Amino acid sequence: MSTEPTGIEREVRPLSRVSIDGAPVTYIVVLAAVAAALAFVPFSTLLAFGGSFPISQGVFPLIGWLLGPVGGALASGVGRFAGAFLAPLTGGPIPLISAWSAAVGGFAAGAMAPREGRRWWWVPLTGLFLALWLALVARAVLVNGVALGIVLMYTLVNWSSILLFALPTRTLFVRWIEGDNLGLLSLGLFLGTWTIAGLSHLAASSPYYFIYNLPAEVMIPLFPIIPMENAFRGLIGAVIGAGVITGLRAIGLVKPTQATY
Amino acid sequence: MSEPLAVVDNVSYQYPHAERFALTDLSLTVGRGEFVGLIGPTGAGKTTLCLAFNGIVPQFYGGRFFGYVRVAGLDTLESPVSALARHVGQVLQDPEIQLIATSVENEVAFALENIGLPRAQMRERIAWALDAVRLSGTESRHPSELSGGQKQRLAIAAGLAMRPNLLVLDEPTAQLDPVGAQEVFATVHELNRELGIAILLASHAAEELAEYADRLVLLAEGRIVTQGTTDEVYSQVDLLRQHHLRPPQVATTFYLIGGGRPDGRIPVRLDDGLRAFERLNGNLCPQPPDLPPPVSHPDPPLLSVKDLHHTYPDGTQALKGVSLDIHPGEYVLIAGQNGAGKSTLIRHFLHLLEPTAGVVRVGGEDASARPTSALARRVGYVAQNPDSQLFSRTVGEEVAFALHHLGYAEDEVERRVVENLDALGLLPERERHPFALPKGDRARVVIAAILALEPEAVIFDEPTTGQDYQGAHHILEISRRLHQMGKTIVVITHHLYLMPGYAERVIVMGRGTILLDAPIRQAFHDLETLGATYLTPPQAVILAQALARHAPGSGADAYPLLTPEEVAACVVGGEG
Repeated sequence: MSTEPTGIEREVRPLSRVSIDGAPVTYIVVLAAVAAALAFVPFSTLLAFGGSFPISQGVFPLIGWLLGPVGGALASGVGRFAGAFLAPLTGGPIPLISAWSAAVGGFAAGAMAPREGRRWWWVPLTGLFLALWLALVARAVLVNGVALGIVLMYTLVNWSSILLFALPTRTLFVRWIEGDNLGLLSLGLFLGTWTIAGLSHLAASSPYYFIYNLPAEVMIPLFPIIPMENAFRGLIGAVIGAGVITGLRAIGLVKPTQATY
Repeated sequence: MSEPLAVVDNVSYQYPHAERFALTDLSLTVGRGEFVGLIGPTGAGKTTLCLAFNGIVPQFYGGRFFGYVRVAGLDTLESPVSALARHVGQVLQDPEIQLIATSVENEVAFALENIGLPRAQMRERIAWALDAVRLSGTESRHPSELSGGQKQRLAIAAGLAMRPNLLVLDEPTAQLDPVGAQEVFATVHELNRELGIAILLASHAAEELAEYADRLVLLAEGRIVTQGTTDEVYSQVDLLRQHHLRPPQVATTFYLIGGGRPDGRIPVRLDDGLRAFERLNGNLCPQPPDLPPPVSHPDPPLLSVKDLHHTYPDGTQALKGVSLDIHPGEYVLIAGQNGAGKSTLIRHFLHLLEPTAGVVRVGGEDASARPTSALARRVGYVAQNPDSQLFSRTVGEEVAFALHHLGYAEDEVERRVVENLDALGLLPERERHPFALPKGDRARVVIAAILALEPEAVIFDEPTTGQDYQGAHHILEISRRLHQMGKTIVVITHHLYLMPGYAERVIVMGRGTILLDAPIRQAFHDLETLGATYLTPPQAVILAQALARHAPGSGADAYPLLTPEEVAACVVGGEG
C-alpha cells in the first residue's frame, strides 16, 4: 500500500448520477443488448409449444447478480422483450410472458444477497413463486384431472428451485459467488442459475398452463427434458458467469451497489 | 504561462481494488492555447490523468480521489461528464473504439444531438469541425471506410464540434502508421495555432512532440518528475533514460557528441541538429566506419511465396504477384504503409488466407494444403493486438490452452508452461487473470503461449504498438533471444528506429508489391523507396546522410549508419 496522499479526500459518486438502484444506466443498456443479442442463439427445441428457447435464459440470473434486483430485472426483461422481436424463432408463444419471466429471474437473482434494508425480500418473492406453483398444480389436478405425481414430476425444476430459494442455500450460493475460490464460484453460479432459471421458468409456465392446459400425455415425455434443460442453463450460467465475474474483478470496473460478485 | 484553463491541484487517485495510487499529489496547470506534451513510461498515470480532465476518472471508475481538478472553472467531481464534455474534448488511443455512428456526419452530430443543439447550428458546427480536421467531403461515408489517420481525425472532429477549450489526446497516434500519425499531429498543431485550443497530448512520439509541443510534463509512478520546454526536458537525456523514455534521436546523438548548439545545449529537433552539423564541419571522422557485412543464409527457405496474389471479397487487391524467400535463422523486418499488404502476406503462412493465385510454402510444403493448426506448430503468430489472442481465466491456462488441444501429455504441458512463463518473467503471474496485467505483459503472455508450441519461425505483427520504449525493447529483446536460439524471426513494424541491432534484412512493401528487399543498412538509407510507402527513416539515418555530405569526397551512401551511437562515433571531438 502506498503512503496516504496529502490532498483532501473527496466523495466519489457514480457516473453523472444516472443510475437505477445503484446500477449505472450504461451497464443496464449494455447487458440488455447482450440479452437481446443472445436471443439469436437457439438453445433447444421447445417441445410443448414448438420453436426453441434462447441461450440468454442461462444468463438472466447472471445479469441479476451483476446489476442487483432492479437493474437485473430491467436489463433481462427489456433484453428478452427486444430479443423476442429481433429473433422470433426463440421468442416464445407470447413475448410479454417471456419478458416477464426474464425480469422475474433477474430480480430474484439480485434479491438473493441479504443486503442492508433488503434482508427479507426473499419472503414475498418465495410467496409469489409458491402461489404461481400452487396455481399451476391446482389447475392441473383439480380442473384438468392430471395425477398429482405427474404434476410434481413435471414441475420438479420449479419446486426444487422454490426450496433452494427459500432455504439458506440461497445465501450459501451468494457466498460462493462472492468468494475467491474459483471452484466454489462456478458451483455457486451453476446452482444459483439452476434455482433462478427454475423460478423464471415457473413465472412463464404457470400462466402458459392456464392458456394451454397441457394434458398428462404431454407432461410425461418432458420429465427428463425439463431438468436437463435447466441443468444446461446452469452450465451456461457457470461457464459465462465465471469468466465474466473473474474478468470484472480483474479490470476493477465500478461495481453496482447491489451487485453480487 | 497564459491564463490557466485547467488546474490539477494536489490530486491523488486510486482505482478500485488497486493497491497503489495511480496519481499521487499531482499538481499541474494547462494555460489557454497551450500545447502540453505528456510523457512517461507505461503505468506512469498518463491515461488516468487524461481521463481526470473530463471527470471519467473518478466518476466512471469510482475509487478514491483526493484534491481538485478544475476545467474552465468547473470542478470535475461536481460537474457531470456531459457538462465537462463541452469544455474538454477527449481522443483515445484506438480510433476503432470511439466511432459509433454509421456516417461521418452522424458521428460528429452525436454529441451535438445529445446537448440538444438546434438543427441549423448543428449543421454549421459539423461543417466547421470537419473542415478543421480536413475531412470535408467525407460526410456521407461510413467511418469504417476511412483510413486510420482519418478515423482519428474524425474522433478529433467529434470532440471539436463541442467547441472545447481543451483537447486531451491519449496516445492518439500509437495505432497509426507514419502517415496517419503525421496527419494527426499536423491537425492538432493547426487547431492549437489557428483556433487557440489548448492541447494536452500524451505520447511516446518523441520526435513529433519535440516539433510541436510548447511544454512537456514527465510523469512517473503517478508523480511529476519534471516539466519545462521541449528543449529543457528532451535535453535531459540521462533523466529520460532513467525513466525508460526515448529522447528524439537527434538529442541522443548530440548528447553523445557533447553539445551541439551555440549555447552549448543539445538540439532536440532535426532542423536544429542539421544546423549543428554544419558547425561541426571538419570534426567528422575521415574514414567511413568499418561495418560488418550482411549475413548470408544458405539453407533452403523456411517461408516462401511465389507470384502470390490475394484479392479480398470486396475486390481489394492486397497482394499483386509477391515472390519472397525467408531462410531459416533470418531476422526479417517487413515495413510499409497501412494497406501495403504486410499482414495479408504473413497470414498466408498460417493458411489464415487462401491465395487468389500463386504458391505459399512453409518448410517446403504447400501451406494451402495444410490446416492452420498444423502450420501453427511451425509458425507462431503474435497478432498486433495481444488482447484479441487472450481468452483464458489465468495466465497459466492461456499458455497451456493450445498444448491441451494439440494433445500433449499433462506433464509435458506443465513443463512447457513453466519453462516459457519463466523465460518471459511471467511465472509469478501464472494464476492472475491476463487482463489484470499491463498491456506489455499481456503481449508477453501471448508470446509465451506461442513459444510453448516451439515453432521454427515467429512472426510479430506490430509488436511495439502501444508499448513504451522499454516495453518495445523488451519485446524485441525476446525476439533477439529467439533469433539467437536459431529461430526465424519476422517483424512487421512502422517503428523503423527500433529495428537497428535486431533486423538483418528489410522488405519494404507498398500497394501489394515488394518495393525493396535489402540488408538493413542499405534499406534504411534508400529514402526514396521508404518515402514511396510513407515510411519515416530514423533521424540518425538523416543525420548520417548529412554527415556523408559534409565528408570530403564521399557519396551520400558512404556512411550507412543507423543509430545515434554510430553517428556520434563518427564525429571527432565535437563542440562539447
